[in-house]
Formats: sequence, structure tokens, C-alpha cells
Amino acid sequence: MFRNHPTARYILTRGGWYFLTFLVAVTINFFLPRLGPSNPVDIILAKAGGVSDNATRQKEESYLKEFGLAEVDKSGNVLRDAKDAPVRTSAWKQFGNYIFMSLKGDLGTSFMSYPKKVTEIIKTAVPWTIALQLPAILLAWIVGNVLGALAAYRRGIFDKVFFPLALGANSIPFFAFGMLLVYLLGILWPIFPAVGGYDGGLNPSFSLIFFGSVMYHYILPFMSLFIIFTGGQAIGMRSMCIYELGTDYVKYAKWLGISESKVLFYMFRNAMLPQLTGLALSLGVMIGGALITEMIFSYPGIGMAVLSAIQNNDYPLIQGCTLLITVSVLIANFTVDILIGFLDPRVKAGRGVK
Amino acid sequence: MKIFLNLLKSPSFLIGISLFFLTICFAVFFPFFYHIDVRTMGVPMTPPCREHWLGTNHLGIDMISLLVRGLRSSLYVGFLAGIMATIVGTLLGVYAGFKGGWQDEVITLITNIFVVIPQFVVLVLISASMKEGRSLTLIAIIIAFTSWTWSARAVRAQSSSLKSRDHIALARVNGNGTLKIVLYQILPYLLSYVFMVFIIQTASGIISESCISMIGLGPYDTVSLGTILNEAMRNEALSDGAWWAFVPATVLISVIVFAFYVINTSMEGVFNPRLRK
Amino acid sequence: MLFRNVFKITVLCVLCIVGLGCNGKKQQAQNGATDFPREKTIYLGGDQWGEPNTFNPLCDWPAWPVHGKTDLLYEPLMVFNSLTGDMEPLLAHSLEKTPDVISVILNSRAKWSDGVPLTAEDVVFSYEIGKNYKNAPMNYAAVVDFVSDVTVEKVPDPLTGGKTQAEKIHFVVNKKARNNPLIVLDQLQDVRILPKHSIEPMLQKLNNDFTAFQKEKLDKDPVVSGPYNLDSYSSEKIVLKRRDDYWGNVALRGNRKPAPEYFIHPIYKSNDHFSVALQQGNLDVSMTYIPRIWMKAKDNVGTWYKRAPYFVPGCMPLMLINFTRYPLSDKNFRLAMASAINYTEIKDLAISGYTPEIKPGLIMPYGIEKKFFSDEDAQKYGAHFDTVAAKRLLREAGFKSIFDKDGNLVQMTDAKGKKVPTLLITSPAGWSDWEAMVKIAVKDMRAVGIDIREGFVDASLYWQALPFGKFDLLMYKPLPEATPSKPWSQLDHIMSSRNWKPEGERMNENQGRYNNPKGKNYNRAVDSLLLAIPHIMDDAELIKAYRALNVIFMQDQPALPLAYLPEQFYEFSTKHWTNWATEDNPYAPPQPPFYAAGIKMLWELKRAK
Repeated sequence: MFRNHPTARYILTRGGWYFLTFLVAVTINFFLPRLGPSNPVDIILAKAGGVSDNATRQKEESYLKEFGLAEVDKSGNVLRDAKDAPVRTSAWKQFGNYIFMSLKGDLGTSFMSYPKKVTEIIKTAVPWTIALQLPAILLAWIVGNVLGALAAYRRGIFDKVFFPLALGANSIPFFAFGMLLVYLLGILWPIFPAVGGYDGGLNPSFSLIFFGSVMYHYILPFMSLFIIFTGGQAIGMRSMCIYELGTDYVKYAKWLGISESKVLFYMFRNAMLPQLTGLALSLGVMIGGALITEMIFSYPGIGMAVLSAIQNNDYPLIQGCTLLITVSVLIANFTVDILIGFLDPRVKAGRGVK
Repeated sequence: MKIFLNLLKSPSFLIGISLFFLTICFAVFFPFFYHIDVRTMGVPMTPPCREHWLGTNHLGIDMISLLVRGLRSSLYVGFLAGIMATIVGTLLGVYAGFKGGWQDEVITLITNIFVVIPQFVVLVLISASMKEGRSLTLIAIIIAFTSWTWSARAVRAQSSSLKSRDHIALARVNGNGTLKIVLYQILPYLLSYVFMVFIIQTASGIISESCISMIGLGPYDTVSLGTILNEAMRNEALSDGAWWAFVPATVLISVIVFAFYVINTSMEGVFNPRLRK
Repeated sequence: MLFRNVFKITVLCVLCIVGLGCNGKKQQAQNGATDFPREKTIYLGGDQWGEPNTFNPLCDWPAWPVHGKTDLLYEPLMVFNSLTGDMEPLLAHSLEKTPDVISVILNSRAKWSDGVPLTAEDVVFSYEIGKNYKNAPMNYAAVVDFVSDVTVEKVPDPLTGGKTQAEKIHFVVNKKARNNPLIVLDQLQDVRILPKHSIEPMLQKLNNDFTAFQKEKLDKDPVVSGPYNLDSYSSEKIVLKRRDDYWGNVALRGNRKPAPEYFIHPIYKSNDHFSVALQQGNLDVSMTYIPRIWMKAKDNVGTWYKRAPYFVPGCMPLMLINFTRYPLSDKNFRLAMASAINYTEIKDLAISGYTPEIKPGLIMPYGIEKKFFSDEDAQKYGAHFDTVAAKRLLREAGFKSIFDKDGNLVQMTDAKGKKVPTLLITSPAGWSDWEAMVKIAVKDMRAVGIDIREGFVDASLYWQALPFGKFDLLMYKPLPEATPSKPWSQLDHIMSSRNWKPEGERMNENQGRYNNPKGKNYNRAVDSLLLAIPHIMDDAELIKAYRALNVIFMQDQPALPLAYLPEQFYEFSTKHWTNWATEDNPYAPPQPPFYAAGIKMLWELKRAK
């Protein structure tokens, strides 16, 4: 049926493989947290303390039931074994429940932030993560690529100075750079605020003042990401451009007398392709991304949520967040594959032939 | 080994290698004329002085001693992770690139699955079920586990472009099996590329280790450059102005990684003449 | 061409972001236009980590300001002043206690925020929640074990000179379950009174299913009795607004209003953020652990004491010892451990000197516990830092330690020549002050020859190890809050054999499994003293009983106290608000002004000029 539509076939096969990946990843992300020896209800109870044994026991049972972690008999009491420890439901049964509920759109209730729902937590956290990284990634991509191309084209002094600088910038761990910025510009000479997304005395609103405050607080985190990303992009672009500059077709075009800007245009377009795929991949990983930056600047994003979830054995939250990360990474990769399929003429050509 | 001689002629290579050896010397030879002691505690957060050239940390332990020990740990993790990730990634990448077809798809599938699993989820979960908890080796293994995908992709791209070369076709005609072709015809061409991949993996392994330790998921009983940074942050070194607890470790990490990147660039220049001036 | 333009646009964007940012700051500084004016707001930190989940007081761990003893919205009957040891009036007054019944008189002027008067019905409802509903939160459910009955009696109101009637509430001590009037006192300041007329209908609508009720957030104008109510919240902060019709303004605080109109708790991700905010005057009071706080004095950051120890001791971090493991069951071994630790080093290096000198025993030689502490007993029976004595004790018990040529410990053998297994101190990784204490303790104990190492684990494993006894030694801070039942509850928590279970089964106190009631060496004096003390009314008798119990502790050494720490860290900034309670001005205990008896500070704070 699809013999005459190689494009459609290509998209479907790639899509099929990605879907399979998705299924396997979801399964792994479900079972991995449950492999550990810790029981989240024990953790909750131990932290809460408690004077009365009866009360603690009642609580243990109610949470085990609520979280679906223990087997329950007909009258609704938790089954206990010979040592009076609760009988835990098998991981497979929990998995079945999880799939069933997720298809209904219910990602469960968080253990440690009970009774908040996982979807609620993710909904409030994700905008912060995206707002923190997206502008930095996009702007750094553009500026970095242009600077890299310039360095490759001009060579000379600009390149000799710029290249080591960019390389150096890329070598500094980005969180260390962020902390240095906070120290220098937030504490030593307090020009910029050291913490927070916006001024504590404001409530989010669509006012210019609020927006201004958000921008003001955004400068340091933005700088810490922007400068390092730019360095990385510039280096990559520079190598690609240098490679392209030495290719035969460029030399030939120059001999033919084709105008400089036209040659440059084609050269950049070829060099851009891997950079574009790099951008798509960065955007995909963005969601799981800047955990440490969020930690340093106190942005309540998804990174921090996942970390505390793992440390507290909060299964539903771990599952929900990893699901989100999985989906975004896979979509990004899928998009890249499709883009390459369309934009890279070599792949296009190879497809029509069989 | 004409290549090696060419490398030596390149100034950036010399800079990179000398930086690298400088840091190695620091780790290996410095203990001979400076007393290294990571156990004795003293006055917390003292600024650099005659006794402690880079001051002390929050427990009064000498910073230079911590840096020397930490450097060793970080290098160990970086190299171990780099070697493991490169080997796994290269083997899988070459095979996938060369064979193509469904083997390629399956390996891509596996690669994608690993890309999707967040590093620290695996780290926390596995270390929680191990009795000895998190050691440097475990961290290196986990870093390799989650970063081999990069080398797999890079090598796969190279090997699939090699696939259509003539000498490969010749080898096939001669009846050589896949394994023989991969080992004798493809790998030698890729060796230089693989070496560069190894360097990048090592550098990123060092940065990964510092990130992981920074979050607080570092090794329990050992000092590493990342744990030094983590302790500085947790003990509020910066807000008290104790830059010595923080800046030297950052500088060390940056210098090593920079050295690696420079070596990598110079190698690119030598192996791929078009990249030179 | 195209690229040039794109490049210019991007650089413009970057400059825009920076420019807008600086402009934003300038605008703010000029207008001072904020939703919450700085001079009317108090910022505090350290009591809310992570996004607020719920404000339902009947949930097990709701967010600030509904959890713990924050009495800004919902109030208990009385509050405990940790400085004076008195129970101070809040919703009730005129406390009377006997070993059988504890009584208070409800303040007749107490009212809810919707105008309905707060009566004994609400009190009875709140105290009987554990009896009437399943799955009540633990502190409400625990009432059942200690209070058998709550009765109400009408008496002449002492506040109006007898002209009107007030309600006297009697809490009958439950003699059939846990016969303990001290814990009833605890509950008087712990159990918060809830509006029956508002909550009961909600429960009935949900068919009295408590678990379903716990899913209600109660975050929109809840019915409260306290001086503040919830204004708004997000994942970055929680805001409270002053209630001008709070009943206590007239009835308790001399017809005055609390000074701050808004209460804001920003939610930061780590301690150092609160530190920096305090330093820069963006935070007014904090309860986070801030090391080397004397370095912030130049930024107007103050504490209770102007010099060391800066904080008032209130709790005791210690190491639990697991009696069921070898060789920890050997008394001399434990005493050797206690004598090996350099407590001064722990004080200076691990906790920035925030503790006065530690003395042996489980009773604090300071503050309200001082009268129960005997210096003479401590000298005679207690273990002090003495490496010679430590080594001697080990030798006498038959242990031999082998060192290498650098002086590092290689291993330790016991009297039979068998190698003693390396012991581990289990502690959560990442808790800085505990980590430091453990490292110092390990270093000191190895120096006298005890083969012990740090056993840092993830927090989840730590919380698992504690109740099931899966440890050799465990870092622990029992009962961090000051309550009227201390020091009894501290001793009970460490030494009681009431629920003794072997390792692997859950125990909620005495997790070290000291004094096995079925063991050969069972000492019944411990449990009989613990049972008797809550009923002793005579002071002299009480002191004798505590002394006896403390001596048993010092002789058996079931745990290793390491230092004293304050109940909460109380640090404040004088940049915007002054007249904080300090040692020179001790009108309130050293607590943040939203906590128990510290609340009265809110009416005394003044704007800084």
C-alpha cells in the first residue's frame, strides 16, 4: 500500500520504533524505583514520629491502602504475614493499575506532597523550567552559531582570541559559573538579586512591574546558562564551517566566480544541519535539564521536584516526571529524524532508491 | 607514526598536553613537599596563610590536601567512565553503522532508551540497593551507563559513511565475515576518531561527576572535586566570602577539561588537514 | 545579509533582557509599588520546604502555617513557654492539674473568623476526632490513649468577676490505657481547636470518610480563630494577612493589633538562600541553621545571645546504640565510646559553637531542666572526654586494638581473640551539621582504638533504619521541641521497654532496644521510675526520681549525647523590624514569632527607623 509513498513509510517506520522505545522506557521508569529496599510509607511514618502505637499502625494501614501498596482482604483490612509485616502488592499489579489510571489521564497522587496530584505538581513546575532555559538555549544557539561561523570565515586574530575563550567558557561547569556570578554580582557587589524568580513582595500578575521584576531576577541565571551554551555552540559551528570551507564544491564555486555571499549561504546551510539537530536535541533534554541551576537560583522547576521525589521514594511523582522527560526527548529525536529526512538531500536521495 | 610527529608540531597540542601534565604533576608530586592531611581538623574557614596555602574548609581541613585527593578521584572517575563509555559506544556504533538495516534500528532503539533515562534516577536507585552505597567506581559506571549513547551516535555516523568505501567492498568479495571486516578494515580508520571521542567522554565524565556530587549524590566516603564544591555550597562558604573553598576547585576542573578540549582540537587539526590553516 | 540581521536582532534581544531587568529594579525602587509594602510585611524562613500541598489541619503533614506548633491560624488551648516553663493562656486559662484530671477554663471571648463564638463544643469535637473517626492525623488520634473523657462544667467566669458564666473543661486521664497526665499537658498545647460548625458538615457530606476529607485543601478563606488568615500562596511563597477582628487582640493583648499586616514565607531550595536573604535584609527572621553567624552581625543579624553560644539549648542530638549487636551490648565498650569523643571539638567545629558545654546524662543542666540536674552525680557517674579512661575501659573489657606505624587503627580484637566487626554510624548524607559530628566522633573513637566508620546513607534508607533497628549506631535528634512533658518524655523515648521488639520489627521509641524486658539484665527500676514520674506532684520527690533515672542512664550509657542544640534556630534581622526578644529583653522565649509562645512578639515588634 505504501510502496509509492516512501515518505509516509519512512515517517511511520520511524514513528513505530519510537513508540516501542516509549513503551520500554515507561516500563523501566516504573520498575526502577521499586527495586530499592525502601518503602515510602515507612519513610513517611518515621518522619512524622508519633507517640501512640495504635495511631501509627492505623496510619500505616491507611496509607498503604491509599497508595495501593499492600494487599487488602475482603473487609478492607490490610493483610499481614507471620511477622506482622504488611503483605505488599506485587509490582506487576501496581503496574497494571498505573497503566489503567494513566490512560484515564490520572497520573496518581504524590506520596510526599499528599494530597497533591502529580499532574498539579508538574503543571506548576514545568513553566519555570522552560522559562529558565528556553530563552537561554535559543539565544545562545543563534549568537553562538553566528560567532562560530564568523570565526571560521575570518580566521586571523579574531579566531585566535575568540576560539580559546569559547573553549574556556565551555570548560567551566555551568553551575560553578552560576555560583561565581551569584557571589560576584549578587553578594559581593549586590547589583543583582541572588535568589528567587521575582520580588517577594509581588504577586504574579500581568503588570509591567511584575514583568520587570521577573526580568531583573532572570539576569543572573540567564547569563550563567547563556554564556556557556554560546561557547559550546560557537565551537561546534566553527568546526563545521571550517570543514565546509575546505570542501571541493566551495573551491569550485569560488573558481566559477559565484558571489561570495551566495557561496557563504550554501556553506552555512550545510553546516547548519547538525547544529539544528543539536538544537532540537537540547530542547528535548531541556525538561530534565537544569536541576542545579534551579537549585542555585531557587527556581521551583521540574528538576528540583524530581530530585526530592527520588530521595523520598515518591513513586508516582518519579513516574510522572520521567514520563514527561521521556516523551519530550523522544519527540525531539523523532522531529530531528524527520527533519533530517526532509532537509538532508543525501538522505532524501537514498530513500527513493531501494 | 608520522601522525604523532605532526601532533607534536602543533602548538595547541603542546599547550593542551602541558596543561594536562601540569595537573597530573600537581596530583602526584605535590604531596612530596607539602604535607597532605585530609583528616586533621582545625579552625574552620581560615583564609590562605602560611600554614594552609589555600585556607581551610568548614571543618578546618587543609584545602590543598582536599584538592589533591579530589583531583585524583575526579580523574579516576573521568577516565574509567570515558574508557567504558567509549568501548561500549564504539562497538555498538560501528556495528550499527556498518550493518545498517534492522540491526541498526534495534541498536538505535536501545540507544534511545538509554538517552531517555535520567542519570540521577539510576544513580540514586542503584546506590540505594547496594550495601556499600556510592563509591567512585559505581559513579563512574553509572556515568558510562548513561553517556555511551553519545559515542555510539558519533561513531555510527562515521562508520556508516565508511561503509560504501571500496576496500570494504573488496573485503566482502573476499568472503570476510562481519566481525573481521569491522575489526580489520573499519576500526583502523576510525582509531583516530575514536581516540578523540574518548577524550571528550573523559572530559564530560569529569564534569558529570562534579555535577552529580554537587547535587549531593556524590561518593560517601571519598573526596572529589565535586564534593568539595558541594560542601562549600552547603556550608555557605560563598555568603561568608570564603572564596578559597570554592574557586580553586572550579579552576582545577576547568583547567583539566580545557586541556582535554584543546588536545581534542589539535588532534582534529592533525587528523583532518582541512581544519588546519 | 539574512544572518547579519538575525544576529543583530538576537543581540538586541539579549540587551533587551538585561535592560528590562535593570529598568524593573529602578521602577520598583522608585514606586515602592508592591502588592505587599515592605514596611507592613514580615518575611520569615525555614519552616516550609517544597511546594505547599494542603492547609487542612487534619492532614498529616500540611504546609506552613498549619503544621507543627505554628498557631497563627488555628490555636490550641494553651502554649508552653520554653524559657519559663509555664503554660501560658491562649484559648483557655487557669490550668489545674491533678494525677487524675487536668482542667482549664475556656476564654469566653474566643470567636471564630465568621463570627461564631468558640465554645466547649469545638473543644470536645477536636479532642474526640480520634475517637469518632478513623485515620485521624496522628496527634489527634493519640488523644484516645491518654484522655478517656472530656467533660464540660459551667462555672462563674473569673474574667468578668463572676458576673457571667464560662465553660470549664475537664480532661480525664485515661487510666486504662496510658495513664500519663504529663502527655495530656503536652496535648493541651499541641492539639489545635477546630471549628465544629464548619468541619462537621463537610465531613458529613463526604459520608464521614476521613480519607476523602483529607484531600480538601481548606485554602480559600478557612474558618480560623487565630490572628492571621491565608491570603495567597504559590510554589514560591505563602502569604498571610492580618485579621483585624481577631478575638485575642482585645481579650489577651491589651486591645492592640500585631504590628505586621502581612506574613510572607518565601520558599527557597536550600539553607544558604535563606542565609543570604537574611544578610541582605530581605528576610526578617529565620529558623535555618546558619554556620558562623557572628560573621553576619555587621549585616544587622542578631540572635538571642550576643556572644557564644548565641542560641538557647533545647534539644539533644545523640547517637543511638543498638543493644542487640555485638559488642555494643558490653557496658564498658559503650562507656569507652562516650569517653573517647572530644565534645569541645564537636561544639566548635561541627556546630559553630552554638551549644553551651555539654555534661553527661540525658537531662540538660540549663534552663527549666536545670533543677533536675545534679552536678555531683555527673561527676561521679558520668563519662567525660578522657582518652586515658577510654583506653583503660577497653583494656579491662578485654579488647585489644592494633595500630599501624602511622598511628592509624587497623583492627580490634575482643577477649576471645576474635576480630570485632567494623561498626558503622548511620546518618543521612547531606545534613551538614550531623555529618560533621559523625566525622569528628569517628576520628576520636578510632584514636582510642574503636573500629568504627561513618555510614552515610540516603535519607530514605535512614528513615527506614531508625524504627527497625537496622543500625549499629544511629545519629538522631529525639523530640526536638520543648514541651511540658520534658525531661520525662526524653528519658522515656530513649529508655522505655514498653514496646520492646527485636530488630526487624517496628519500634517508635527506644529504637536502640535498650533494657530487653525478657533479657537477663532487665532492670525494672527504669520502667517503674518512668511509670511513676508523671504522677509525682511533690517537687522534692520529683527531683529525686529524675536523679535516679539519670544515674541509671549514665551508668548504662544507652545513647551518646553529643551536644545541645536549640529547639529552633532563632535568627533575626533588625533592618526592618526591631524589638526582638533577646537575653536583654526576654519578654518572649527564643522562638520565631509564629511559634507557640513566641507569638506574643508580634504585638511588640516595632518598625525600624
